[in-house]
Amino acid sequence: METLGYLMDGFGVALAPHNLMFALIGAFLGTLIGALPGLGPANGVAILIPLAFTLGLAPETAMIMLTSVYAGAMYGGRISSILLNIPGDEPAMMTCLDGYPMAQQGKASEALAISAVASFMGSLIATIGLILLAPLLADFALTFGPAEYFALFLLAFATLGGITGKNPMKTVVAAAIGLMIATVGIDSTGVQRFTFGILELYEGVDFIIAIVGLFAISELLFFIEEKAGGGKEKMVVNKLSLKWKDIREILPTSIRGGVLGFVAGVLPGAGASLGSFISYTLEKRVLGKKGYFGKGDPRGVAAPEAGNNGASSGALVPMLTLGVPGSGTTAVLLALLISLNITPGPLMFTQHADVVWGVIAALLIGNFLLLILNIPLVGIFVKLLSVPPMYLLPIVTMIAFVGIYSISNTTFDLYFMVAFGVGGYVLRKLEIPLVPVILGLLLGPEMEKNLRHAMDISDGDWTILWDSGLAIGLWVFAGLGLILPYIIGPILRRRMRATPDSGSPESD
Amino acid sequence: MTYNDRIFGILMIVLAVAYGWGTTQFSEPFGGSEAVGPDTFPRLLAIVLGLSSLYMVVRPDPDNAWPWSRTGIELIIAVVVLVLYAMFLQPLGFIISTTLAVGTLCWRMGSRPVKAFIIGAISGVVVYLVFNFALDLALPLGVLSFLEVG
Repeated sequence: METLGYLMDGFGVALAPHNLMFALIGAFLGTLIGALPGLGPANGVAILIPLAFTLGLAPETAMIMLTSVYAGAMYGGRISSILLNIPGDEPAMMTCLDGYPMAQQGKASEALAISAVASFMGSLIATIGLILLAPLLADFALTFGPAEYFALFLLAFATLGGITGKNPMKTVVAAAIGLMIATVGIDSTGVQRFTFGILELYEGVDFIIAIVGLFAISELLFFIEEKAGGGKEKMVVNKLSLKWKDIREILPTSIRGGVLGFVAGVLPGAGASLGSFISYTLEKRVLGKKGYFGKGDPRGVAAPEAGNNGASSGALVPMLTLGVPGSGTTAVLLALLISLNITPGPLMFTQHADVVWGVIAALLIGNFLLLILNIPLVGIFVKLLSVPPMYLLPIVTMIAFVGIYSISNTTFDLYFMVAFGVGGYVLRKLEIPLVPVILGLLLGPEMEKNLRHAMDISDGDWTILWDSGLAIGLWVFAGLGLILPYIIGPILRRRMRATPDSGSPESD
Repeated sequence: MTYNDRIFGILMIVLAVAYGWGTTQFSEPFGGSEAVGPDTFPRLLAIVLGLSSLYMVVRPDPDNAWPWSRTGIELIIAVVVLVLYAMFLQPLGFIISTTLAVGTLCWRMGSRPVKAFIIGAISGVVVYLVFNFALDLALPLGVLSFLEVG
């Protein structure tokens, strides 16, 4: 019942007029970001962080706005899957399977409306799951000592590639690079490390600059390389004729999808792509012959959308309770928290209860807003699909410049951002994932601090790192996270390959 | 072809060694050394990076093609434009440098030149006005500073 009280306080925060306004702006921008070509959710949230930061928004307002962007981007990603058979992001891949056939049969707006309802159900279920699970997990996490945290961070890196990941060693390389960049600067004992006497490096590398560079600038370079500036043909959608019966029919599917998605989102190494994949496959198996999956079955649209949105809310559980994000976008949200001087983790639930519960309540409210926004406004979002990237990406890049410039008003940061962009382009070419680099930048200081604490407690005895049952368990899972992709990965990937390929480098 | 991963792997091993050597150059922390000094964690990282890069050299993935020729030049142009944009943001001011940078990028990405620079100018002016008046964040006016009000 304690939770209920906190939740009520959270609603108090989220329903404050200015917070509500920013939630609405965030939800709208998020759907835009999801719908626009070449702007993934992680990328979109990253570009907005410096703006939220320089606007001097209160922590809870900034978090509410960007979580709404996150939720909105998940809604927006489905639009191009359904209309163009091009998934806006990786988790939206499964939506193409039945969404695009529906659109071809002239039922595009029904498919869009169904996916909006399913997304809503998925998020709603997962947010309820979040409300129930997060306080429990936060309480449990209070028993973690520094050694357990150190192992937990390792687990986070090891599972980041996901069990469908291609080459876990590349995740390790990426994580090591990120952690190394994080060591630049003056450390907690006052020693200068790798600053080369450059004044700007004394405070270390600002991870926001790195994130924006890695995502936004490298995306621009990729579009130039692929000569994809032309954009897509204009789309017209039919008039919506959705009956209550149609919605009722997809409800059981949406509920199952939402629950599965939530579980996949919470578990390390699963993520939204797997969430939508499992929901779709399960639904196909449950309904079997009764459905016509792959030929435009509405339930084939509802299942992956509910799974996808369930997973994206589920992914907030480890991020909020443990301070360990499991996906690119939640890593970017973590970056926001850290730059607002809020230490994520179990203590946040007591020290910053207003932020945590405000965000959770905002998720619930944002969900309703998104449903309301999405059904009547879908026409606008559809029009945006035909905005040619040759205009969009330069403008997005310019906004990234403005955001970074407005943090410190120095040109040095801009050069740094461009350098990160070129680096990000090279890494993506080599299929080295960018998210571990970012996570390394974010978690590096915290990881080193916990290592130091653990060693101080044990007086320099390294065995403390695997001394408790909990720590051993975490090490084992971290090991599995690196080994399993070699065993299960190829099988799972082959099954998912049966579906249209996606070229997006960042997952959810 | 598997050159990319091998070359990158070797470069990363070099980085790991250089970084590891760098940890021996730290000054002694104030108050003497502890169980975990400033060099312990970086040394662990150097080892991890060295080993994982070695794996990339031994078991490389197939290459993605690099865009040589024309596309490569376009990419270099884009990077140069971004660097120049950063360089001239303050001296030329936000509006002019944005017009030039966004315009050039749109043009190189396939838009007609006139349209590209018009889009650049509009986006520059709109963002400038939004930032200065709605968001209250000052962007540099540069050579247009005579337009400044009050």
